[in-house]
Amino acid sequence: MKKTFHPLTWWAGAIAAAIAVSLADSIAFNLAVVGGMSFLVYRSNKFVIDKTSWSGGLWFALKISVIIIAIRTFIGIAIGVPVPGTTLFELPILHLPDWMAGIRVGGAITQERLFFALSEGIQIATLICIFAAATSLTSPHRLLRQMPVFIYEFGVALVIATSVLPQLVTSASRIKTAQKMRGIERRGWKGVALPLLEESLARSLDLAAAMDSRGYGYSRQRSRYRREKIASSDLTVIAGALALIPLSLVVFA
Amino acid sequence: MITFDNVSLIYPHSLRTIFEDLSFTIEEGEMVLVIGGTGSGKSSLLRLINGLVPHHTGGILAGDVTVDGISTSLTKPGGLAHLIGIVGQNPAHGFVTDTVEEELVFGMEALNFAPDVMRKRVEEILDLLSLAHLRNRSISTLSGGEQQRVAIGSALVLHPKVLVLDEPTSALDPIAAEEVLSILHRLVHDLGLTVVISEHKLERVIGFADRIISISADGKAEIDIPEEILKRSPIAPPIVHLARALNLDSVGTSVREVRRMTSHLRDFTPLASAEQKDELQTVVAIEKLSHHYGEKVALRDISITFKAGEITAVMGRNGAGKSTLFKSIVGFHNPTSGTVLVAGTRPSDLSGRERLSTVGYIPQEPSDLLIHASVEKECSASDQDNGLEDGSTFAFLKRLTPTINGQAHPRDLSEGQRLSLVLALILCSAPDVLIMDEPTRGLDYQAKALLVDTLISYARNLGKCVLIATHDVELVAEVADRVVFVADGDIVADGPTIDVLLSSPAFAPQVAKVMSPAPWLTVKEALRGIASATGAESSE
Amino acid sequence: MKTTADIYRLSLQSKVVLTFTSLIALAGFLWPFFYTGNLHWIFLIAIAACVLLLISEVGIGSIDAKSIALLGVMSAFITLLRPLGAGAAGLEPIWFALIIAARVFGPSWGFLLGVTSMTTSALLTGGVGPWLSYQIFAAGWIGLLAGALPHRIGNRLIRGVSEKFMLIVAGIVAAFIFGLLMDLQFWPWVLGSSTQLSYIPGGSLSANFSRFITFHFASSMAWDIPRAILTSALIALTATPFLQALRRTHFKAAFVAPIEFRKRVEVRG
Repeated sequence: MKKTFHPLTWWAGAIAAAIAVSLADSIAFNLAVVGGMSFLVYRSNKFVIDKTSWSGGLWFALKISVIIIAIRTFIGIAIGVPVPGTTLFELPILHLPDWMAGIRVGGAITQERLFFALSEGIQIATLICIFAAATSLTSPHRLLRQMPVFIYEFGVALVIATSVLPQLVTSASRIKTAQKMRGIERRGWKGVALPLLEESLARSLDLAAAMDSRGYGYSRQRSRYRREKIASSDLTVIAGALALIPLSLVVFA
Repeated sequence: MITFDNVSLIYPHSLRTIFEDLSFTIEEGEMVLVIGGTGSGKSSLLRLINGLVPHHTGGILAGDVTVDGISTSLTKPGGLAHLIGIVGQNPAHGFVTDTVEEELVFGMEALNFAPDVMRKRVEEILDLLSLAHLRNRSISTLSGGEQQRVAIGSALVLHPKVLVLDEPTSALDPIAAEEVLSILHRLVHDLGLTVVISEHKLERVIGFADRIISISADGKAEIDIPEEILKRSPIAPPIVHLARALNLDSVGTSVREVRRMTSHLRDFTPLASAEQKDELQTVVAIEKLSHHYGEKVALRDISITFKAGEITAVMGRNGAGKSTLFKSIVGFHNPTSGTVLVAGTRPSDLSGRERLSTVGYIPQEPSDLLIHASVEKECSASDQDNGLEDGSTFAFLKRLTPTINGQAHPRDLSEGQRLSLVLALILCSAPDVLIMDEPTRGLDYQAKALLVDTLISYARNLGKCVLIATHDVELVAEVADRVVFVADGDIVADGPTIDVLLSSPAFAPQVAKVMSPAPWLTVKEALRGIASATGAESSE
Repeated sequence: MKTTADIYRLSLQSKVVLTFTSLIALAGFLWPFFYTGNLHWIFLIAIAACVLLLISEVGIGSIDAKSIALLGVMSAFITLLRPLGAGAAGLEPIWFALIIAARVFGPSWGFLLGVTSMTTSALLTGGVGPWLSYQIFAAGWIGLLAGALPHRIGNRLIRGVSEKFMLIVAGIVAAFIFGLLMDLQFWPWVLGSSTQLSYIPGGSLSANFSRFITFHFASSMAWDIPRAILTSALIALTATPFLQALRRTHFKAAFVAPIEFRKRVEVRG
């Protein structure tokens, strides 16, 4: 059995890492942090027996990040501010009215402008990956269970949403297959979305009845089944992540 | 334990009285079965017990419902959760959380149980329902039967005295249903729980019901022991129909009982039926078909033909290769190797109207095909898709179910009516092959009878080929000419229904079990067989 | 007379808290125009705290089972739509469903749906970051506004084509509001300080304002216009059947249905 960390540990660590990344503002530092996170997720995923949608969160985020960086870079160099420096190549310029002085569509693409757009994309992608790694390392369900009781209702809504989602994914693919086997070709996206919505809504009514029958909202007070304890290993992880902050200041600022 | 005292019910926005002066008492430790046609108010009755009706739904409740001395008019459903556990039709719809253990504690946390009590109860329920090995599993990865066990567990964990189950097996396949019912059986006998249950397939539960509440269409209800109710009730399992048809003195609820009562009828030597079949035309020709999903082999070198005018039941475990076989026939994918020809063409080459008039497919959830706002719109869209005259699909549907309301929303129809609608949408283009996936899930006897008639007339009168994937042996006995049994990607049995079903006791329908060794599968066949046998004897 | 629970509605106290936290959030969006120092970090924390305060406040009135089940399941549905969309632009396809659902279930519930669906989809599709609490507020406001759209003008009920048109306009407005708000929070930190469009700490209102407008215009062309087109097209395509499905559910859920217990009922004909 794998040792489990307190669900807050990785999230606290992720916040510390995010702060460090924001302060450092350096591509190398970002890549190092994402690399480290990926290693941790890779190592912990090896022990995952029951694969849920969570454990793959980081891989999904990494894919998304590539797209985000590509699009941001493209838009960053095509529309934006002229940055003086070494010209790489020229694009045709689209002139804009005077009050928008400072912005240009097209024009000279300098090395600096490219670098600037690239590092902006990487910065955003890094933050996404850091928190996605936290999601992969602890199921948000476990985090939600540790939520203070005063946000219980909100927590229940999120638990329902995240629990129902994999079932909706299954339903969506079942509907798609059924329609394709029937030979329905033209409906496209809406043809799946509508039966799926109907099914979701029917499900929510059944769920409401089940919750009422099981005592939801009846007692003013609620108890908690399991309270997780913070161990020294948790503190080590958090301390390690916090150490990134001064590191980022010293090394890169 | 449960008392209904002159109960009548009117829902909001309605003038219809659902029950009229319904009075009965259910004793502690009793197992009571609720039967009635679709829309007769079975679910309302069950939901009255814990006060969901009217606290959750609204409505006027006249009379009084009390459980263990507590009137539901004074307490909300949540306040009765420790007294009454309620489990719905579709287990997956009632889950709040994602893992088994968390689901079990949800109700206890909401009702502020102490942590040590919760821990003890969770262990107890995990053992009782044999869920211990699943405790940390994500619920969405469980099988239907396991999910329903979790749902029952999360009701039992509050230690209720009454367990109410609304068609707990209608969304499950027969194997999962068996799993759930055997658990229930144990609960009734070991824990002395009071259980109220509604169920379509009476043959599954009739054996351990102490009494039956039968609700008729006019809102009247009677409660009595099964033998009495089943003498008259239109809703009854096949063996009861058999007993009635044979004019036996009493109806039995188990194969053993009825078999004892009919021993004198089995003395005859049944005549061998010498039905000679015409050579039928081949519609689906499959040769050396194999299909792989990556490394996984779903079908292994299958050669088989299906003929016009023939109804074939394809049976086998889930994952045995049935759906891959169907996917190959409808042209959903190209087979890894081998050929599939439907009416002489490769199905994957077909499209548009040509496709619709060659293969018709009805999925397990017929509503997956419905996207329009009313029955009529759905029908007229189908007229357009198939290039038919306006109104012809609707006319077809009206012939199937004359009472259907064209303005109704397809989602508000009963399961049976919805299946009729989808049948009409697909049969109106008269496809050469009709394929149905598990058509009887959630259908009551009446809807099932309609389905049987529709399929038989489609195959016989129009000379079409019909393929049904099903676990339901009673349906197979009623409609199929031929049974193909698939296991692990191979065809392991293929032959006339009688031969395949009778060769294994596990697949024999109830009538066959009673009448064995006579080769009769249905009530109709048995009557005909007995008549001809007695006729032959008396003329000797 | 006794009735079943209503769809979730903000209590008076919750409204006060919502107004208060919204003002703080608004300040969090607008501070670069008015303040000379760097408040970015302070507002980052303040707005996250506001989100917590807000969700704890709305929970205290206890949300009934029907509202919360609908909230959870609809959030899942919206989250599922998100990756179906343009992928990169990411956030897009959530707006049309949020607007249509909020239209049917009202402003208070719409606000909560904005909050929960934004949180769920961020957790599931990799969108957690310092911007999340800003996005949560923005989504909540859009749900609130969509839910508050009028249901009748004078005696005329707004249904059918006029309703669809109104929702399309709402979708376009929402797409641009969201874009504007996101730019406001991105601007001071993401652009760095080196460009001609960057925020100048302590700079004059007019200088910063014109810089922001230009920055916003640039990003608008890239993000907001596609978002507005997609949202309005999806509303045009799906509003009729989606509204119908949601309204049937609203009816079936039997909110505020009268509950009555009697000795006997008069049996009619």
